[in-house]
Amino acid sequence: MVATILTLRLTTMVHQLRREWWRALVLIAGAIWIIALLPSVAFASKELAFRAVDVRMDAYTAIVTVFMVGWAVVPILVAGLDDSLDPSRFASLGIGARRIMPGLTVSAFLTIPAIFFLMTLFAFSTSWILEGGDVFAVALAGGMLSLAAMILSARVSVMWIARLLQSRRSREIAFIATLIGIFLLAPLASIVVADGLETILEYDATPILDSIRLTPIGAPIGAAGAAALGHWSAVWWRLALSAGWVVLLWLAWRVNVEYVLVHPVSRGGGTKAREDSMLATARRVERRAARRAQRWPRREGPAMVGPQAMQAFRAVTAVRARAVRYWFSDPRYLAAILSVAVFPVLFFFLVYPAFGSPVAVILAVPVMLAGTIGWGRHNDIAYDSTALWIDVVAGKLGRAVMWGKATATMVWAVPIVIAGAVAAIAVSGRPGLTPGVIGACFGVLGTSLGVSAVTSVVLPYRAPAPGENPFSAQVGSVGAGLLAQLISSMAAWIVAAPVVLPLVAALLWNPAWGWVGLVTGTGTGFAALVLGVRWAGSLYDRKSGRLVAAVS
Amino acid sequence: MPPNGTALALRGLYKHFGSTIAVDGIDLDVPTGSLYGMVGPNGAGKTTTLSMATGLLTPDAGSVLVHSIDLWAEPEKAKPLLGVLPDGLRTFDRLTGAELISYTGLLRGMDPATIESRRDDLLAALDLEVYSRVLVTDFSAGMMKKVSLACALVHAPRVLVLDEPFEAVDPVSAGAIRRILSAFVDSGGTVIMSSHVMALVERVCDHVAIVGNGRILAHGSLDEVRGGTDLEERFVSLVGDAGERRDLTWLRQS
Repeated sequence: MVATILTLRLTTMVHQLRREWWRALVLIAGAIWIIALLPSVAFASKELAFRAVDVRMDAYTAIVTVFMVGWAVVPILVAGLDDSLDPSRFASLGIGARRIMPGLTVSAFLTIPAIFFLMTLFAFSTSWILEGGDVFAVALAGGMLSLAAMILSARVSVMWIARLLQSRRSREIAFIATLIGIFLLAPLASIVVADGLETILEYDATPILDSIRLTPIGAPIGAAGAAALGHWSAVWWRLALSAGWVVLLWLAWRVNVEYVLVHPVSRGGGTKAREDSMLATARRVERRAARRAQRWPRREGPAMVGPQAMQAFRAVTAVRARAVRYWFSDPRYLAAILSVAVFPVLFFFLVYPAFGSPVAVILAVPVMLAGTIGWGRHNDIAYDSTALWIDVVAGKLGRAVMWGKATATMVWAVPIVIAGAVAAIAVSGRPGLTPGVIGACFGVLGTSLGVSAVTSVVLPYRAPAPGENPFSAQVGSVGAGLLAQLISSMAAWIVAAPVVLPLVAALLWNPAWGWVGLVTGTGTGFAALVLGVRWAGSLYDRKSGRLVAAVS
Repeated sequence: MPPNGTALALRGLYKHFGSTIAVDGIDLDVPTGSLYGMVGPNGAGKTTTLSMATGLLTPDAGSVLVHSIDLWAEPEKAKPLLGVLPDGLRTFDRLTGAELISYTGLLRGMDPATIESRRDDLLAALDLEVYSRVLVTDFSAGMMKKVSLACALVHAPRVLVLDEPFEAVDPVSAGAIRRILSAFVDSGGTVIMSSHVMALVERVCDHVAIVGNGRILAHGSLDEVRGGTDLEERFVSLVGDAGERRDLTWLRQS
């Protein structure tokens, strides 16, 4: 069975490479990048080999903790990174979890990241070799246990979160829990700002790292350290702790594999009966437009323009109403909303210690948030693939469709970005910079949404279909996805960078620049959004006959 | 130019996927007021052809004329004339049945009052009233077909292009769909539909085209194509019988 599953994994990979040869280039580039990283890993571990045992332990504990968190979190954040075998595909074969688990386990360990981390952790273990062969053996065993824990925690976190987002009740709980988590981060951030990270590192880092070594995450390193100091009794319980943790993770994964094997993908959105809100929304919007037209007779209301413009107007309304519906009922989109905050928060905690000027870092967070939201829409056509054929056969509606989607995103994005900006200004204690921050946020939101509109039409890549695991990559889409993500993020950076300049000027020289930023940022954001959507719309019309095939 | 009174004209349609030629030069004239059946074995290129005829798939070569308007050159003029029911594409499932029909109507630029009355007519005619307030995601395959058909009809198109409209539909609903299509054709509308079921095509359609390996093997009025025998015999003689009749002896329950 192990061989069968490995062959299956390999065959799908060969098939996908044969279909799209350039994916091989992406694979090779990834492999070269990883190989290029290895010398620095080897150098670091050689350097550490000559340091005192506790320094070595602290360094490795910090590194391995970051690795662990990365393995558990990154596959959830970066959609489409997880291209492991989806166990639910075995459901119809009537094979129990007991028989497929060994194969799934082995194939989870045979991925490029897993092999890279295998080499890295091996290199780390070699820095204990001077203490003697037995210490090295303990370090190596600990390293391999860490590797197993990393790989398994990726599987467990992806599958459990996907399962959590399936039912309405647990979706709501997850949503609220995430919001509470974000609100809890704010006081943490203000403590960091108030005390300065250096003081925290100086006084608190060692006890924090010490206590991490008492948990399964740091226990393997503690074991190596204890072996180096000759405390062999401490070695055994630490190794046993991390081995127990690995077994626990494996069992948690297995429980979930058992679950998906007997619970086929349910697409149920709950059986709540509803009135036709599509028509009600259209009526409301048209009444409002008619009132506007009455009040300002010179500005033409939609009722006075030609049938083409009328169709476009009604199509925008309909697409927006539909998009608002999927934003709040489709697990894939809910996952996207929940994950927008994570990158800015990570940015804050990783970049903050490196820079001298904390205000700049704090104020960058809401701007990052705006950019993350906008960039996150770069594959929207593929995510919304099930509606594509209806939109395409209804006429030449590219602009209306793209505008409807963009405005639906703004329905939730604008309040969140404003809230983020207000929170950041409150934490930074610089209310004078409010206009600059708001301007930069709107500018970045508009430009990145505009860029995303274009790239979603130009470079769509297969996304999970509704009801599928929102974090899984589609077979054969990892390379295309990475390419599209790279290009869209670079384009968003290039277009959005100038928008932030007035905020930088306000921060460095004179807060009055903030007012300039408010005007230019809002203006540029709006203009970029309109231009991006218009361009995306005409590309959509031109490519419509190829888009359906590309995403479904 | 297609002859006068042609509702849908396919000219030299060609499409390949990699090294597989899916549609290999299809020419077809669908006369106005006809109910045209398209039959063919699995993989013959029916869905590919109908996708190219409705704007869902760009042809490598060839053109599509809907009442003499070039679909791929002037989609904004041709698409309003078409009502489309595709096969094998998933439909957006977070709307209720009623909302999906309204959504299509709004995309077509219809005013809400007209949409509402037609939506209720369609839900009643296709026996979907009970499910009008249920999300499409909870629909069965047959209900899905019916609501998609309602979406194709809501803007009262002149030409209906239906890919497997009767698949997974129960006999009562199939009867309702047949009546709707006949009335539509009698009033001057045109239907082209694909199907695997010969008996159904013989019963419903007045014209038929047999497709095999991406080409039209025979086309014309039902009697012309049948040529005295029944459609199934003619079909099998054109596309060829299964190569080798091998008995699956191991399947016998002793």
